[in-house]
Amino acid sequence: MALFTSAVGFGVVTAAILAISAVGFTLQFSVTNVFNLAFGSVMTLSGFVAYWLNQGGMSIWIAMAIAGLCGGVLSMLVNELLYARFIRHGLNLFGMVIVTISVGLITDHALQAAVGPSFFSYNAPPGRAFHFADFVLTGQELLIVVIAVVLTALTQAGLRYTRLGKAMRGLSANPALARACGIPTRRVVALAWFTSGVLAGVGGVALFLDISTFTATTGSEFLILIIAAAVLGGIGSPRGAVVGALLVGVLTEVGAAYWNPELKDVLAFGVLIAVLLIRPQGLFKQLATERAIVR
Amino acid sequence: MSAATQYYIATILVYICVDVIACWGLDLQFGVTGVLNFAFVLFQAVGAYTAAMLSLGPSSTSGGFQQYLVGLKLPFPLPILGAMLVGAALSGVVGLITLRRLRSDYQAMVMLVISVVATVIAESVIGLANGTAGLALIPNPAQSLSSLNHETQTWVFVGLCAVLTLIVGIVMYALVYSPYGRVLRGVRENEAAIEAMGRNSTKARLQVFVIGGMFGALSGALLAEFIGAWAPSEWVYPETFVFFTAVIVGGRGSVSGVALGAALVGVGVQQAVQYLPIGGDPIVLASLEWIITGVLTLTFLWVRPQGLLPERRRRFRSSTVPPARAIDGAVTS
Repeated sequence: MALFTSAVGFGVVTAAILAISAVGFTLQFSVTNVFNLAFGSVMTLSGFVAYWLNQGGMSIWIAMAIAGLCGGVLSMLVNELLYARFIRHGLNLFGMVIVTISVGLITDHALQAAVGPSFFSYNAPPGRAFHFADFVLTGQELLIVVIAVVLTALTQAGLRYTRLGKAMRGLSANPALARACGIPTRRVVALAWFTSGVLAGVGGVALFLDISTFTATTGSEFLILIIAAAVLGGIGSPRGAVVGALLVGVLTEVGAAYWNPELKDVLAFGVLIAVLLIRPQGLFKQLATERAIVR
Repeated sequence: MSAATQYYIATILVYICVDVIACWGLDLQFGVTGVLNFAFVLFQAVGAYTAAMLSLGPSSTSGGFQQYLVGLKLPFPLPILGAMLVGAALSGVVGLITLRRLRSDYQAMVMLVISVVATVIAESVIGLANGTAGLALIPNPAQSLSSLNHETQTWVFVGLCAVLTLIVGIVMYALVYSPYGRVLRGVRENEAAIEAMGRNSTKARLQVFVIGGMFGALSGALLAEFIGAWAPSEWVYPETFVFFTAVIVGGRGSVSGVALGAALVGVGVQQAVQYLPIGGDPIVLASLEWIITGVLTLTFLWVRPQGLLPERRRRFRSSTVPPARAIDGAVTS
């Protein structure tokens, strides 16, 4: 039992990181309908921004906030300079998948060429240990969980109660109607990319803190788990993404405790495929037809 | 010609054949029919592993330094045929899971996930195919012609690859430029219309998935037999993207275009990078290859989305429908 609860404890930390990132991934997808496979690269780049600030003596938590902003600006800029132009150029959903993969590969490998293949880690104390029923979390891990709860709750509330959130939901439900109602589509799309980038940045720093060593491709390797969480919850549904993240996070850590740690991700992916076979739309989504990308 | 030069040329020729066969397989799925198979490299890998397991003999031989399943020592065409069969069977299973019920954007993501899972499994379950280290000493069928010297054996293998490429090419032409090919292009361009004409689009997708997977497996078998080794690092999921770039650069849906793209992107970029005057840091060179591949894709999608040798489009004078634009997968609005 102790093994189980401690595995769940670790799972909650993994789930927290997954939740921050998966909400960002899925929010931007629900608004723009572009599968952003460069999301992991935004995480890595922001993680490295935090690394350089941290090396300069800054506290990792302030660095995390700045990295989040950088991620947001970067994500918005890439959309303005590349994605939006490609979409106006006439690319459809699948063309855009290939564009985002290209951008991800270019970014990752440019970074790899710059920083080399070595492992990096932040200079951050894990903080004092907090004892729960059967497991121990460090102050660092606890703070990550708190940040995740706050950020996902803020995103939820923002989507639900603000005008911008309403515009995003409107754009997600029916782009043509949203535009006809006078919603400034372009600005809302830009803000969706920004929000998604902020969440990617914070998620990236949290991930790098949690796994303690990272390379230029760590973010992109983690992206697959994020996609699994987002798809599990029903892609495009931020609430579903949180539940998906919890499922994937806890499953991987419990799998690691009871089974082969190297195979822990396989369990999560197995569940994903099984769920999709029974509910092709994911756990928390109405069966919607596909939509074109928002131009 | 020195032995080294000969071997270099032979290597490049084999790589071109392998990439052309693989890209044709992907083109049939992605270029012609519009199925976005992000797990394509998995089928190449399965072909490579199967060919190895069917020709290495039991894993206890050579001191049992590598562990793997099956372990037969079959004569020449059987390992390659076995690889194609297993590749087709696995494609069938993956296709049945993904293509039948899922929305096509989910399909693409699930394929990506499957590709990653497969790598993780192959790396961690040592008994399957020797884990991260992979398989080595995979026999080259030409080496069984012991009366020939080593150079001639290499050229015999090049010949084998060329003949197989030719056969796959003929099959591709027969499939793509036939009434069946028109159905496939119809699935890509307008699925509803194809369904309305009484064709089963899911069946067509499954069929190209299996045929394409079979070609992928064939290319993997040839590659593994030529290099003599095969490991999970050869087929991580971004490798699929190189094939996509080759298809886009060559011209989606065009058999000759894709062959050109495969030679240029699959082999050309890698060779060109070696001759750049930037020193020999292998990490920088490998990164540069990926960067060039990514930039090539973006450039072509922007400037020439139809590729170097575009698919020829039939136009009918009475038609009032404007030709479809740019890169269409299966679904637009």
